[in-house]
Amino acid sequence: MRRDLYDAAWGGVLALLGLAVAGWAASNYDFGSLRRMGPGFFPVVLGLVLAALGALIAVPALARRGTQRHFAWPETVGVVGSLLIFGLLLNRAGLVPTTALTVLTASAVAPRPGIIWRLVLTVAVTALTWVLFIGGLDMPIPAWPRSL
Amino acid sequence: MTTLEGLSHGLTVALQPSVLIYSLFGALLGTLVGVLPGIGAMAAITLLLPITYYISSEAALVMLAAVYYGAQYGGAVASILLRLPGTPQSAVTTLDGYPMAQQGRAGVALFAAMVSSFAGSMLGIVILVALAGWLGRLATSFGAAEYAAMMVMGLVAASTIGEGRPAKSLSMVVLGVLLGCVGTDVNSGVQRFTFGQVQLLDGINLVALAMGLFGLAEVIGNIRKAERDGPPPHVSLRQLVPTRDDLRRMVAPIGRGTLLGGFFGALPGTGSTISSFLGYALERRVARQPERFGNGAIEGIAGPEAANNSAAITAFVPTLTLGIPGDPIMALMLGALVIHGIQPGPMMLEAHPDMFWGLVVSFGIGNLFLLVLNLPLIGLWVSMLRIPFRWLYPAIIVFVCLGVYSVRGSTFDIVMVAGIGAIGYALAVAAFSPALLLLGFVLGPLIETNLRRALLVSRGDLVTFVERPVACGFVIATAALLALPLLKGLRRRNG
Repeated sequence: MRRDLYDAAWGGVLALLGLAVAGWAASNYDFGSLRRMGPGFFPVVLGLVLAALGALIAVPALARRGTQRHFAWPETVGVVGSLLIFGLLLNRAGLVPTTALTVLTASAVAPRPGIIWRLVLTVAVTALTWVLFIGGLDMPIPAWPRSL
Repeated sequence: MTTLEGLSHGLTVALQPSVLIYSLFGALLGTLVGVLPGIGAMAAITLLLPITYYISSEAALVMLAAVYYGAQYGGAVASILLRLPGTPQSAVTTLDGYPMAQQGRAGVALFAAMVSSFAGSMLGIVILVALAGWLGRLATSFGAAEYAAMMVMGLVAASTIGEGRPAKSLSMVVLGVLLGCVGTDVNSGVQRFTFGQVQLLDGINLVALAMGLFGLAEVIGNIRKAERDGPPPHVSLRQLVPTRDDLRRMVAPIGRGTLLGGFFGALPGTGSTISSFLGYALERRVARQPERFGNGAIEGIAGPEAANNSAAITAFVPTLTLGIPGDPIMALMLGALVIHGIQPGPMMLEAHPDMFWGLVVSFGIGNLFLLVLNLPLIGLWVSMLRIPFRWLYPAIIVFVCLGVYSVRGSTFDIVMVAGIGAIGYALAVAAFSPALLLLGFVLGPLIETNLRRALLVSRGDLVTFVERPVACGFVIATAALLALPLLKGLRRRNG
């Protein structure tokens, strides 16, 4: 029997997260009293509630059959990767190269293979971005690497 | 200000050229994202949030609202033609809309959806005006205890009434409230969960959170899903013309759907998605020939479409008069209001008549515009369905990045969106609701502040939540909402 691993895993993660939050808040922030709630009151109480809910999700999930779920790994990696590229490159390489590389990376995980349409799309989106954000909105971002 | 004075005042606000243009832009953009499967109103509104920093508060809210109700119109198009709901609200429209399209009556189905949406919205505006004044007066007597109890009730209602396991839904709400704690605590000045990061002093950025949870997570999940084969059918203007029988069958469902949607839209926690599902169930129950449903019954389009549009309008009632958003989209609206320094509440009608009445009138103008323009433009919207998603999503990603960056020029926020997006997608795959997380995030700080204030006033005595009749009502309702799934579970085990 395949167990409901998604619920079990997430329930466990949430339970641990709740305990960690409650523990951190209890040792670092003043709990206060009901009359004068301190900054630690809310996180401690809710962290414990989250831990209880996580256990409530995880424990029954171990005893029942889970539904098959499809996790789009390549798409996740491609999309998150393209965002990281954008975030890390923007201030160093300028808007135009950053956008081009982001679009190329993101389109690599599309269900249609081929490089031609991706290059066309890259040029189109990069041009649109340049026109909108540099030409139109005049955003204070360099378009090209600073050394150029 | 009487209703009539208010409306004429609103007319002067809504007819300002800048407000009018943003309203029309929002309505068109909303229809477009509604039509395109893979991007919804939520993603579109988050993408527009950064822009609202640069325009007047009236124009900003009018635009965001127009995106929301515009998407309700557009959502039906893909539902009817491709059996792919463009928005969650229009999922039920596939049940009878798609069979009608297969019978060659796609045009009539689209007409029914548009006209019902329009009628539902217009009557929803009447309900909004009636309820807002009444609720505003009622809410002036509310203290901190009532607010805290009511917001908790809203969050619990949203978790237990909706679909999914209640424990999973509640866990998302609690996680959202905890994320809302990050940053400088307003009451004590203590920095909570910032771990020395300067970027986190103001808390997690609402735009970054919403973009990661919705914009990005939706893109990841839809790259493969939204790719389909075969072009949509061709729809001409002539095909839109309904028969007299069709029209006759639409009237009563529109009325019922509007009332139902108007009621559930105004309740905190239940929104337009639940309304459209309930609207469909209601129509099937009252129908003389329920077997027609699922085989192309026009009532099955008219009822839910009127209900979800009516609910989309009345959802503004608790948002504007109590400052309590009923669904995540309203949470973003509230966020946009707060960005502009407007704290909605019982005094909203008196303190910000421009905003309130301007919005109300703009709803009317925007919906009229959508009806007049969408019927002739139907061919254009249908042809939009031919654009494959792979041409769109890389551009969406770039816009997400630039949108987040523009808020405060921080590339840290872009990296954070990437992380939130990955977590949001993993949560969505496991059937955890990111919408509830966002709702908790927005309401969390308000609950904490009000709870603190209520307990300070009562000197730490929890009895205050039972002594005050209105607060006690909310507490009892919350307990009932929590007990409901428990009872259901017990019955299932015994039966």
